[in-house]
Amino acid sequence: MGPIEGLLYGFTIAMTPTNLFACFIGVLVGTVVGVLPGIGPVGAMALLLPSTFALHPATALIMLAGIYYGAMYGGSTTSILVNVPGEAGSVVTLLDGYQMTRKGRAGAALAIAAVGSFVAGTIGVVGIMMAAGWLADVAVQFGPPEYFAITFGGILLLSRLSGGSLLHAFVMVAIGLALGTVGMDSISALRRFTFGSVQLSQGIDLVPVIMGLYGVAEVLLLAEEGIARVNIASVRLRDLLPTREEWRQASMPIARGSVVGFLTGLVPGPAAVLSTFISYTLEKKISKTPERFGHGAVEGVAGPEAANNAATAGAMVPLLSLGIPFSPATAILLGALVIHGLNPGPLLISDRPEVFWGFIASMYIGNFMLLVLNLPLVGLFVSVLRLPQHVLATLVLMLCLVGAFSLNNSYLDLWVLAAFGLFGYGLRKLRVDPSPLVVALVLGPMMEKTLRQALFITRGSLVELVARPLTAAILIVTLAAFLGPLLVRLRPRRVIPP
Amino acid sequence: MLDRALPALVFAGAAFYLLQAVQLPFGSAARPGAGFYPVATAIFACVVGGAATVLAFVSRRPEHVADAVDPVSAAARRRVFITTVALLAFCVVMPWVGYPLAAAAFGVATLLGLGSRWWTATTIGVGSALGSYYLFAVLLDVPLPRGPW
Repeated sequence: MGPIEGLLYGFTIAMTPTNLFACFIGVLVGTVVGVLPGIGPVGAMALLLPSTFALHPATALIMLAGIYYGAMYGGSTTSILVNVPGEAGSVVTLLDGYQMTRKGRAGAALAIAAVGSFVAGTIGVVGIMMAAGWLADVAVQFGPPEYFAITFGGILLLSRLSGGSLLHAFVMVAIGLALGTVGMDSISALRRFTFGSVQLSQGIDLVPVIMGLYGVAEVLLLAEEGIARVNIASVRLRDLLPTREEWRQASMPIARGSVVGFLTGLVPGPAAVLSTFISYTLEKKISKTPERFGHGAVEGVAGPEAANNAATAGAMVPLLSLGIPFSPATAILLGALVIHGLNPGPLLISDRPEVFWGFIASMYIGNFMLLVLNLPLVGLFVSVLRLPQHVLATLVLMLCLVGAFSLNNSYLDLWVLAAFGLFGYGLRKLRVDPSPLVVALVLGPMMEKTLRQALFITRGSLVELVARPLTAAILIVTLAAFLGPLLVRLRPRRVIPP
Repeated sequence: MLDRALPALVFAGAAFYLLQAVQLPFGSAARPGAGFYPVATAIFACVVGGAATVLAFVSRRPEHVADAVDPVSAAARRRVFITTVALLAFCVVMPWVGYPLAAAAFGVATLLGLGSRWWTATTIGVGSALGSYYLFAVLLDVPLPRGPW
């Protein structure tokens, strides 16, 4: 069955009333959990997984995946409006999205995020449909050395995201890497840095760290600066539509973010998070006015928002074609497939075409549903700004506390939230960007695991490790990208005689 | 002070982390143990944390840092202090009194600290605590602790 034939067949499956309803529920729940800080897609998918047991496998997959990509739409809302990422994939959006809000362009930022997400989601689905088999073949050639090179390169490059002091970025990276080692060692099962705490054996969850560094820290700054920091009364409904210039600025970043996001989704790791950092860095690098980034640049919203949606589509490729989940969310989808007696892998497409193609077609429908749901609701979300700032700050803190606790029903996560809130407040006072810490915390455990596996394979030989063609290529590209700008900066400037 | 205290704190943390890491089985390059990567991370953390601390003490404070860490007004300090104490108090008391009561007390205290009038703070604080409990615990089935009652 060819892609077009398969897609048409998929639409006959996805357009049944049951599957349409499942898709609607999935994207609606996804949007809501994306909007609410801390209640991420993984938790919502895990909560709803038991309710899918009685459904057809295709219906279950459609609903659970709807939550996943729906959350990417919703996650941007709180990032833009209140500087609290609804989920980890929206962390980067707040850098410029919230600044747009402070400039009275909240509506435009939300609309660009929604349209960018729709375009990217649709491009991503086309990508799965057209290239799933071929791209999965490339990804499957990666071994631990290649995975190590990717994660190492990711941390090295993304530590430059803040664009500030390299030393401060490395300090943040070091803290993130160290935090990633807390908990049970994935290879030897030895407990490390847990100090006898059973809760710490599970490791330090990313979400309370992010919510503390961004959400709680922001609330403390609001508390310090008083309640009149943002003039919320100036946001008007007529400002919801982006201007022609804003659309022009957003169009290419959306296209680039879609490609970057889809490709990032193909490789292991938190693709939705990573893709946003990569997209943001890319947009900043190629911009003629990089100084606008961090101060409300439209490109800083459009690119990452497109990227995180395309990444969710890209992450489906290894899941559906190889049966390998590269993120917690796709791991839940894999669990759902297994529970329903399916064998995810290369044979899924031929053995159960109704599941594979029905799922692909449902993503087209789901993306359209999300656009229809989100654009009219933009006004509703903007109305949140009418709340007095101190009331909003208190509610944000309450949502952070509930969100942090509900992840694992752990009181430890509350303390992690509070600790990183205070730490983030200190960093904000010193104007140090905590983003490299987040990236290192996400990628650190994978980097450790793949490094140890790679050293085991090469019997401890670093030369053998980096001499593998794919590893060498990844490392050379990484070092060139990292050192290139530094060397350019160090090059003596020609003095023009008067 | 913060611009010097924070790097020093990071360096102290890195040194403590290194002391803990070296107690883990290191293994060898061919068979890395559970301590292999943490030791490498700890050395990296000590180097960059130490460099940041030294620089913070020997270099001239950048103007923006000096501005940022200069003492803020007493009222601003009080607001941050009250919010922080309310946050920490919530973490302490929630296991004992449950979410609704802890959240209501947290909401009222924070709102009062940020400048709300007492009746506004009470209404919004208690209302948002009960509302969020209903939304998450009842509708979304998030197991928030109710407390002893």
